[in-house]
Amino acid sequence: MFSSYIEHPIGCRLEGQDPDEKILLLLRAHPITNIPWIVFAIFVFAVPFIVQKAAPLFEFSLALVPQSFILVLLIINYLLVLVVTFEGFLSWYFNVYIVTDKNIVDVDFHSILFKNIDVAPLRNIEDTSSSMGGILNSIFHYGNVTIQTAGATKNIDFQSVPRPHHVADFILDEVHKIYGKGKDARHPV
Amino acid sequence: MPAIQSNPFDLEVVLMFSKAAILLILIFYAIFTLLIVRQVNLMSKTLITKISPIVKAFSIVHAGFAIGLIILVWGIL
Repeated sequence: MFSSYIEHPIGCRLEGQDPDEKILLLLRAHPITNIPWIVFAIFVFAVPFIVQKAAPLFEFSLALVPQSFILVLLIINYLLVLVVTFEGFLSWYFNVYIVTDKNIVDVDFHSILFKNIDVAPLRNIEDTSSSMGGILNSIFHYGNVTIQTAGATKNIDFQSVPRPHHVADFILDEVHKIYGKGKDARHPV
Repeated sequence: MPAIQSNPFDLEVVLMFSKAAILLILIFYAIFTLLIVRQVNLMSKTLITKISPIVKAFSIVHAGFAIGLIILVWGIL
């Protein structure tokens, strides 16, 4: 359910999916890419403790501030932790890359008000390439997959997905199935 | 009798401005939570999974809590 690499996912559908269309692969960014917002949330969580420890250093007594204000500020602080965590999770969970037996779909929610969906039919896929670079990428085995499409249509990029070489190969295999196992394929393996 | 001048940095004045600032922050926060509800709705329609209803319910409860908090803070500060 919370995996970042799911082959033949069950109980998952996509907006505009045809009744006879099957999801073959569902990808998300590798969970390790969530580290920045998790660290930020932990930092915000720790702010009240830091303030409590740091106040005497600045010769400021928290006893001057009424208890009700301290309580409200604490609630606001933990609401901030909640919203950072929730937004981080939403952004990770719903930004998906999907390979169906007909299309490749890239669903992006860049910010709270921006939604972008790129759909490329499998028959339009020219070739795929995968790249993996950096310490974290090598340790946790994730990277980018670029899918070139025919014509003037935009290329599709899968960012920070697990097993990028395997994903690139998986997509090409599906394209070859359409073109009769490479017999009529215009694409080199 | 000399007039008593109020110090603009009086604790009372500071607290009053703080209350106004906190309420303003909470109003913006409540608007933000409503946007999150809208966003979750949009996301859940785009990708339908088993946890979509749970996420949707959580976002609605979150928005309700944020709106309730404005009233609570108005009362206790």
